Amino acid sequence: MEEKWMTPTTSIESTSVTPADIHLWFEPSHTLRSVIKGAWCPLKTQLFVSSPLSYPDKFITLLDGKSEEIAFVNHISELSADSRTVAEEAVRQRYLTSKVSRITGLRNDFGITYWHVDTDRGHRDFVVQSLSESCVWLSDTHILIVDADGCRFEIEDRLALDAQSRALLDTVL
Amino acid sequence: MTLGLYKVQTSPNIRTNCPEIPMQPLIDLEEVADLLITKQLTFGEEIVRVDATGVSVGPRGGTPRLHIPLTSIKSARTEALVGGAKLEVRTKDQGTIAVAAFTAQAAPRFSELARGIEQLAKGEPLNIKLAFEQIRCTTCGRRLPEKDGRCPACVKRGQVFRRILGYLGPYKVATTLVIGSSILMTSIETFARPFLTRTLTDDVLARIGSPRAIPDLLVCVGALFGAMLIATALQWFKNYNSSYLSANVAKDLRGDIYSALEHLQMSFFDKKQVGGIVSRVTQDTDRVWGFLIDGVPYLLTGSFTIVGALIAGALLSWKLALAILLPVPFVGIIGSFIWKPMASKYHKVGQKWGRLHTQLNESLSGIRVVKAFVREDGEWNKFSKRNGELAMSGMVADRWWYRSEAVVNLFIGTAPLINWGYGGYLVITGEIGFGTLMAMQILLWQVYGPLQWFGQVNQWFSRAMAGAERVFEVVDAQPETYDQPDAIKLPVLKGDVKFTDVRFGYDKSNPVLKGINLEIKAGEMIGLVGRSGAGKSTTMNLLCRFYEVDSGTLTVDGIDVKDIALEDLRKHIGIVLQEPFLFNGTIAENIAYGKPGASIEDVIAAARAACAHEFIVQKPDGYDTQVGEKGSRLSGGERQRVSIARAILNNPRILILDEATSSVDVETEKRIQQAIGNLTAGRTTFAIAHRLSTLRNADRLVVLEKGQIVEQGTHTELMDKKGVFYKLVETQKQTSKALAEDVAFADADAAVEGEAE
Repeated sequence: MEEKWMTPTTSIESTSVTPADIHLWFEPSHTLRSVIKGAWCPLKTQLFVSSPLSYPDKFITLLDGKSEEIAFVNHISELSADSRTVAEEAVRQRYLTSKVSRITGLRNDFGITYWHVDTDRGHRDFVVQSLSESCVWLSDTHILIVDADGCRFEIEDRLALDAQSRALLDTVL
Repeated sequence: MTLGLYKVQTSPNIRTNCPEIPMQPLIDLEEVADLLITKQLTFGEEIVRVDATGVSVGPRGGTPRLHIPLTSIKSARTEALVGGAKLEVRTKDQGTIAVAAFTAQAAPRFSELARGIEQLAKGEPLNIKLAFEQIRCTTCGRRLPEKDGRCPACVKRGQVFRRILGYLGPYKVATTLVIGSSILMTSIETFARPFLTRTLTDDVLARIGSPRAIPDLLVCVGALFGAMLIATALQWFKNYNSSYLSANVAKDLRGDIYSALEHLQMSFFDKKQVGGIVSRVTQDTDRVWGFLIDGVPYLLTGSFTIVGALIAGALLSWKLALAILLPVPFVGIIGSFIWKPMASKYHKVGQKWGRLHTQLNESLSGIRVVKAFVREDGEWNKFSKRNGELAMSGMVADRWWYRSEAVVNLFIGTAPLINWGYGGYLVITGEIGFGTLMAMQILLWQVYGPLQWFGQVNQWFSRAMAGAERVFEVVDAQPETYDQPDAIKLPVLKGDVKFTDVRFGYDKSNPVLKGINLEIKAGEMIGLVGRSGAGKSTTMNLLCRFYEVDSGTLTVDGIDVKDIALEDLRKHIGIVLQEPFLFNGTIAENIAYGKPGASIEDVIAAARAACAHEFIVQKPDGYDTQVGEKGSRLSGGERQRVSIARAILNNPRILILDEATSSVDVETEKRIQQAIGNLTAGRTTFAIAHRLSTLRNADRLVVLEKGQIVEQGTHTELMDKKGVFYKLVETQKQTSKALAEDVAFADADAAVEGEAE
């Protein structure tokens, strides 16, 4: 089976590919590889989440180096256990949006907001020049904030934050 | 193991955890990656170092975890990710290696570093820009809102304030009159009225039965009436001059910022939303002049009033004056606590207004689409939600305001009680007269009136300073270099253009052009071909010098475009865009836009050459027809032909046609092609078109793919070559054929249905 995967063939129609047909791994580390139906090994594999903010673990699209579709997976859990782990890691590598778990400091001076937050990637300080331009309300509770450099911070549910974080957030949003 | 086309194995050249790497002193680049690629991309710090031996990565001062020798590197690049990027090095024997990951903050510098690595690997001289960028304020250590920008917290408010005051400079007389009349008005309010009241009460009303009582009463009432008249006249005089000042200062401020905006580099407009820029011209300038014209006199008047009232109070009865001042510290403290949250709450109301405004604007602008998709209810729901949010935030802010006001009023309300209580006691014990008590009652409100608003002045001042900062940020921003003293004047241009290893990216971590080499002779017509995002329009943006190349050179007639006087360069370039932009005005004004002094004969000649004359004369107002906002009263084809006439009248030596015919029907396209034929004769022309058939007449076609030129040649040569261009043409043919068949089937179906009926 291992040897069969390694034989390159011409591309396969993406609509005929099921999650079980997809094998994903990193080789070398941080470079995503795929083998489809144990036969097609695209030179380059790119993994995208179709709607990363609304459905972060659904509608996974694999594209090759020419940006043509290799496969489409409805839910990341449909992949085999190994491939799923790889896909989750690939998502984390591509989407560098940090999820805010706590706001430790927030002040608004002269229309510019200074944030100090704990995120799933660690602590970060950032500045937002204009909240009205850089803050996107994805729902009543789901917020995306883009800082002055273009780094992205997501508050998945503002009501789920601790009381102090909510109070700080309420002072500016 | 083998991966289809190449082998993957641990290269002997690539060392991991290498203990010591000898460094060459000549080349030593260092960058900090702020995401740890080895620790699931958490925030951290990793040093990427490039020297003559290669690229090494590791902790600061520690042992590198990875070293790639320069000799094994084929290329290097940054791969853009969402909110950041990673540095990848392509090796000769081990494929691509992800070296480091970083957030968007560090991405532009890593993009330069990647270029440097590539240059070194190829043995080329190092030619990159790794300028030091300040991201934290050197004074307070806060993150700066923009790299190398100014820290708003450390802005010397005094300096900014003096600069704002500078706008009063041309209006010294009016300013003096406003301040003078404010002081006079205050003096009357604080001295004349209380003292006259005391005299009236103690010296006139108390002398019941005295023969002088009635005449004295008339004198006092007359004096009070006179004081009122003078105060009213001064008020009117102050407002009269204030309105002159406010109109002129606002005009000057708006003029300064608009003039600066017009000359800013395109990259400024890429970074900012148009709405945000407009708000600087309108809202921010309003805040600045509002404070200057209303705030400063208010502050002055208020201060004078308080000082005057205190002096007058002390003269009347220092004991009572001190007593009625007891609540002042409480009012001051409460005021300082109230205003910041209050400003924040009203700021939120402003945000909600903005959201409602956007929603309303969008749904009304797109009313056709709303109706076509029967989305009235959906739009109503969105509006209703935002309307509710606005109502809620308004209610919260108002309630906060009323609650705060009640607390402040409670403390202020104790002052008259103290006056009546303690003042009454002093009257009963004969220490002061009843008139003094009445005079103190008037003074009391003159102290507490301004005092309850003084807390707000700090907010007012802060907002004005923030607005001034945003205004001055634009005014002081680096403009396009129109008037470099050594810029070369080019009154006449031949039209030779040469790109030499031109590289450019709007986002420096994601280069769009990667080494363009192209030489065009004067009068040549070049067709630029390629998929969307290949870099065709970007190439032309560089030629117009809307942006400056990141590296390489771009010359016109052998002179670097950076050295040519910008005005001269652009005068010689004409552009016809896919979506032509017409300004609100007449057709004639739009055609003459680039040549304001053009005669109507020239305008008509240009319109005839653009095949626009026929449709223009058929309009009721001919060349005087108002085209409406953005030319909305003309059809797409008409707008396009007006824009071609505009380009013809300007008589440029270099012409850029960017998808000039893609948004019009076939019949109109024929007319436009004819017009373009008239326009291109004898000029260096760059034509960008997705409909490849329209480029048959080009002298040479240049095919771009992912920012690089992949093919060049005539239409026939490229078709014979059966390369990228051939494939593009074939794909387009098949698509057109399929579309034609669909249309034919649809027509046939319609005919059958028609017969059946």
